[in-house]
Amino acid sequence: MNKEETQNVIEVKNLTIHYITDDGIVHAVNDISFTLNQGETLGIAGETGAGKTTTALGMMGLVPDPPGKVINGEILFKGKDLLKLSDREMRKHRGKDISMIFQDPMTALNPVLTVGDQIAEVIQLHEKISQVDSNLKAAEMLEVVGIPRERMGEYPHQFSGGMKQRVVIAIALACNPSVIIADEPTTALDVTIQAQVLELMSQLQARLKTGMIMISHDLGILAESCDRIAIMYAGKIVEIGSLDEIFENTKHPYTLGLFGSLPDLNSKVDRLKPIYGLMPDPVSLPSGCSFHPRCQSRMEICDQMQPTDYEVTPDHWVKCFLYQEGRK
Amino acid sequence: MTVIQEFVQVRKTEEVVTKKRSQAHEVWRRLKKNRLAIAGMLILILLLFIAVFADVIAPYPYAKQNYDEVLQPPNLKHLAGTDEFGRDILSRIIYGSRISLQIGFISLTVGALVGCILGSIAGFFGGVIDNVIMRFMDILHSIPRVILAIAIAASLGAGITSALIAVAVGSIPNFARVVRAATMTVRDQDFVEAARAIGASTSRIIVKHILPNILAPIIVQATLGVGTSILLAASLSFLGLGIQPPVPEWGAMLSSSRTYMRDNPYMVIAPGIAIMLTVLALNLFGDGLRDALDPKLKK
Amino acid sequence: MTNDNLVTYEKNKNQPLLEVTNLKKYFRTPRGMLHAVDDVSFEVNQGETLGVVGESGCGKTTLGRVIIRLLDATAGNIYYRGENITNSTDKRTHELRRDMQIIFQDPYSSLNPRMTVGESISEPLIIHKVFSKKVDIDKRIEELMDTVGLASRFVNSYPHELDGGRRQRIGIARTLALEPDFIVCDEPVSALDVSIQAQILNLMQDLQDEKNFTYIFITHNLAVVKHISDQILVMYLGVVVEKSTSDNLFKNPLHPYTRALLSAIPEPTLKKTRNRQLLRGEISSPIEPKPGCRFAVRCEYAKERCFIENPVYEEMLPGHYVACHQTKEIQQIR
Repeated sequence: MNKEETQNVIEVKNLTIHYITDDGIVHAVNDISFTLNQGETLGIAGETGAGKTTTALGMMGLVPDPPGKVINGEILFKGKDLLKLSDREMRKHRGKDISMIFQDPMTALNPVLTVGDQIAEVIQLHEKISQVDSNLKAAEMLEVVGIPRERMGEYPHQFSGGMKQRVVIAIALACNPSVIIADEPTTALDVTIQAQVLELMSQLQARLKTGMIMISHDLGILAESCDRIAIMYAGKIVEIGSLDEIFENTKHPYTLGLFGSLPDLNSKVDRLKPIYGLMPDPVSLPSGCSFHPRCQSRMEICDQMQPTDYEVTPDHWVKCFLYQEGRK
Repeated sequence: MTVIQEFVQVRKTEEVVTKKRSQAHEVWRRLKKNRLAIAGMLILILLLFIAVFADVIAPYPYAKQNYDEVLQPPNLKHLAGTDEFGRDILSRIIYGSRISLQIGFISLTVGALVGCILGSIAGFFGGVIDNVIMRFMDILHSIPRVILAIAIAASLGAGITSALIAVAVGSIPNFARVVRAATMTVRDQDFVEAARAIGASTSRIIVKHILPNILAPIIVQATLGVGTSILLAASLSFLGLGIQPPVPEWGAMLSSSRTYMRDNPYMVIAPGIAIMLTVLALNLFGDGLRDALDPKLKK
Repeated sequence: MTNDNLVTYEKNKNQPLLEVTNLKKYFRTPRGMLHAVDDVSFEVNQGETLGVVGESGCGKTTLGRVIIRLLDATAGNIYYRGENITNSTDKRTHELRRDMQIIFQDPYSSLNPRMTVGESISEPLIIHKVFSKKVDIDKRIEELMDTVGLASRFVNSYPHELDGGRRQRIGIARTLALEPDFIVCDEPVSALDVSIQAQILNLMQDLQDEKNFTYIFITHNLAVVKHISDQILVMYLGVVVEKSTSDNLFKNPLHPYTRALLSAIPEPTLKKTRNRQLLRGEISSPIEPKPGCRFAVRCEYAKERCFIENPVYEEMLPGHYVACHQTKEIQQIR
């Protein structure tokens, strides 16, 4: 296999993003690093405030500045550092090479433009073809996502939630990008519609060989669609590894806690095992490991120093002193 | 008894929570940062001070005529000059603040009260009640405010009371509209339904749950409305309605100085500036208050 | 419970706490009659949890509101402890509030932003004049906050200063203030993070064990409903399509919609093969629904009869009710 083909499409290195507000500095994303290969799906899991959306925005260059600031780091897209690009240059990549699917389909579409126009718009912006051809391509995209092309001239309010999300997906895929970032794409949808949309996304991804970063708080969704998963907590990636490793060989106490809090369809437990306490305030994070105040396996070192990444099995990394070399 | 022990970590924000940080405190904190709003506020406080202590501050009584010192430009004895009757303009401006502020605030309070009651009833109950009330408001609103005020003042006769009523009536539709809209927004919130679920009566819901949550637009409307009321009162007295001489109302002063404007421009400038400053201060403060009251809830 | 109710209850210990028969709730819209709840019947025994699941538009939220008399029923009957409360007078409804309460979904909008935690929790006590002395009220507030796991130092805080989990606890404390026996829980944990969800669910179960509460638990989350419910009702477009015990429903779902719903749930486990039953199309309109099964349009087993005749809601297996023409046929296919 050609070495270039297995090259990382996205490589994030030491990304740190803060928001500077009146109440203090919000440490939204703290020194995260990960890679995405061509055609791969990486899941980013975490609860509210973990920093998932900020990471997505950071990758698209859409972090609102002010109050947000990228303090440090590199985002390499096929070797090019996106953070060093001007907004004008970045715009060339958005929609064409990297697309984003936002959470709420109700507000992601412009209510005064037809769905056909909205898909054609992104094609026109990036490809040098005529209006007529863009419209043709838009109609094709609509069919690809399962909407009859006769509906091209209709407006978003004429579609249901699930169909609106399909339109959003069509827009995201119209220029055949190398990477799609999907931020909780099905959270606002009913379960049966969610199933339809996830099925569609996985089919399209397989066909177009697009890389995907899937952000969700729902581990079930990630279990179905991802090759690798990163678990975020308080702006850091506390565990990252292949799907099998994360689910069958869970290591980080937070990840274990997450799995333990979930009601299981297959077994009957009397009481759920929640993680006590709350997410830390991103303005004043705890000293040492951000999770230590809630951690059952807390040790003395945990509030004094921050753990670095330790490799527990090949390509499965955990940020926890429990797995420091030499410890057992 | 089973108790869930929460494992709470010590955080800076948790210490702050123990103090009673009321909404008013938050609003004040935000307001402080807006320099223009504070400037407006200070001017208003100054005005209030002047109005209250007019007797002490004013160098001369406002009605004292002195035919020896008629139509004097500003000098050391009369800092703003004198008018056609030899009355000290500065003193009249100072006493005038009392009148203007009185009219502004009292008429506004009356208008606001009536408007709020009508608007909250219309917004809360909806349906036919809403329709009837709002159609009345539409009728009232369709008459240009100045004409409405003139009509009322003329029919009620001279005097400060008729000016008050004339100005107040015109402000009712605006309040009713704003309060109705705000009531309808709050009415559909879960916590209102929660109040019903625990057995709260309709009056309790309106007073305890809806009104405190619609204060923000009411306050803003009121603050900005005072300025308009003052201008309207000035217009009325300019036309000879409402306030009668020798009561020193700024608008009346403007009116009577028209004849002398060409040779004695200072007579127009003093009351003009007084009106302008007051309305400006009210607008700046009102804008700042509106921004500060914006429910920027912390997430 | 008032004394009267206690006496009545003792007499009829075997009757269900809540019984609903042929309940209907329609709304008039410009486009016609919206059938939000259409001929629903069920009963709940004291100390039980009845889960109500369905997707948006199925009518579960409206059902909850009608049962506790926040909305008037269009037709049908609601019996609480044997008493027909469907058209109870305002006075009687007010009294019933001490027995029947509701927990709301959104912790961000279900609390009055201008009232402190203490004020919100004590409001029911003040309205119903439970205590005459302030000191008694304060003591009760403290007890309630302790029960739901809220630190007492928050008593003067405002909702916007606290996170979703704590706000939901305030809502629960407020619900408990009058010591109700019956609580409708309208998606009480859907707006919360997973780890907080677990805390609140445990709390609700502990309270039920201790005080013998009866819950109607409305949710769209199947894993949660399985965990907390004894019996489950599955609703679709205002109609109950299936009812069974929690275990049974998941082991042996009979209605095609239930089966599709169950297969659609993304499970956080590694399954090599997923037997996904994808439904065709979208949910149809609840306004002026045509006769026949409302699910027929999307159902892979639908036959001609399904489009003409309303299916009968009947007991197919002991304790297991379904409304479907094709149940027997489907069972044979499987």
